[in-house]
Amino acid sequence: MNSSKKVLLTRRSVLKAGAVAAFALAVGITPTVVKADTAQDAPKNPLQKGFIYDQSKCINCKMCVNACKEVNQWEEGTVWRRVLAGGKDGKHYLSYSCNHCEDPACASVCPVLAYKKRDEDGIVIHNPDVCVGCKYCMFACPYHVPQFSPATGRINKCHFCYERQDKGEKPACVSACPTRALNFGLLSDIRKTSGATAQLEGMPNPELTKPSWVLIPKA
Amino acid sequence: MHHWNWLIVIYLFLGGLGAGAYLASFAAEKRWLGRNSHLARIGYYLAAPIVAFGTLLLVFDLGQGLHKPWLLIRLIFNFGSVMTWGVYILAAFIVVGLLKAFFVFKKKQAPQVITLAGAVLALATGAYTGLLIAVIEAVPFWNTLVMPILFVVSALSTGLSLTTLVAHFMEKEGSANPLEGKVHLALVAAELLIVAIFFGMMALGFKGPVGAKSASLVMFGSYAIVFWGYFIALGLLLPLVVFGREYLLAKQSAPKVATEGASTGKETAIAAEAEHSSYLVLATDLSILIGGFALRALIIFTALPIWDGKLL
Repeated sequence: MNSSKKVLLTRRSVLKAGAVAAFALAVGITPTVVKADTAQDAPKNPLQKGFIYDQSKCINCKMCVNACKEVNQWEEGTVWRRVLAGGKDGKHYLSYSCNHCEDPACASVCPVLAYKKRDEDGIVIHNPDVCVGCKYCMFACPYHVPQFSPATGRINKCHFCYERQDKGEKPACVSACPTRALNFGLLSDIRKTSGATAQLEGMPNPELTKPSWVLIPKA
Repeated sequence: MHHWNWLIVIYLFLGGLGAGAYLASFAAEKRWLGRNSHLARIGYYLAAPIVAFGTLLLVFDLGQGLHKPWLLIRLIFNFGSVMTWGVYILAAFIVVGLLKAFFVFKKKQAPQVITLAGAVLALATGAYTGLLIAVIEAVPFWNTLVMPILFVVSALSTGLSLTTLVAHFMEKEGSANPLEGKVHLALVAAELLIVAIFFGMMALGFKGPVGAKSASLVMFGSYAIVFWGYFIALGLLLPLVVFGREYLLAKQSAPKVATEGASTGKETAIAAEAEHSSYLVLATDLSILIGGFALRALIIFTALPIWDGKLL
């Protein structure tokens, strides 16, 4: 038998494979075009609730954060709601927690089904009692909402005070806000507010997870 | 902002390594690496234990791994989660891999269906380690189909290296074969090509500014030494030179085989065989393992989130 015929790898086959690989990579890496206009779209679930935040009314008092912490007894090392400061003058704020997204990335990656999105109001609830603490959701959420507590070895996050809401009460953060910068309501209603948007500059494209929040940016 | 630590890096590396070791022996059994290859058994022995050890590390990384381990059964619940797919793939691969190793150990012919299922599951294991992170849209650096492809090629390469290394010291049957060098050359060349295209496109901003920032963090930032030194130089360029030189030498002597008759041909074959079991080749295999590990560490630790959590 002629041994030269047994060559597995010829220059031509390598080049061919290379061209095919390059093409496949080019296709695989091509970004998907997303449009950033969800603020005006009607929510998939007409009962979806969401937060609305008016940047020009916020005075950075952090009453929302403190009320949330007190009512929900954050597990050690977790932050459910925070107020960011930015802008050229450092006086633009953003109070935010979970956006209870229409397409919650946390819920779709969670291997143990710890996340549930309620039909009656679209609230995304995480059940820490079945969480195994794999932290996959921490990478998946573009807003860094799921928080891992090293003390308890599990994830915690905002649940929109669903138990209070079921009793007809407001979420703790909304009740505590002295300037009415932070409010909540039916997403289809609050999206009609003038100046409403779902994205601030430099923040994730809302097409990623379709967050149920409404922002009114300060001019 | 990396929530995953070294345990995950080791786990992803070992997942690919075990899968690659299985496929190295599978290729040897199929005689794709030449006749009477010394790799036909060792990879089967290594595969399942390596993947099982990696999986054990993952359990330790889970917040509840030691607190409430019974919760872990729920990991098989979400059929839409790639992590759940991974649990099924890994569990199946460990079982089939152990079965195949048992047949090999007993010197019995394993049923074709087991051998083949193992190979398919090995490919799935390698691809899973990349797909796990490729589906995360909030991390642009991970979010391309390049990840599973790159991780599979790296798995094949590191698996072949480990099997070659262990076979050199442990395996008495069969012999090293110059074909192994050729196959490995092709794998390393393919990996280099994929890496070049991947970083080129990331740097050019095909996945936005955050992807570009991750790429420059790897290439010019605090991870540059790991990238250029451990991954590119040790893991890819050194093997490219060593296996490439071996390939060219074998090619030069090939016409002699045809013209000078059988006896010289045999000598050349023996020389080539000796060439492919030299200490240089073994050192190269070791450096491929280092490169493969560096790749997993780079990919996990330089993953920048799509939003840095700051208000502009």
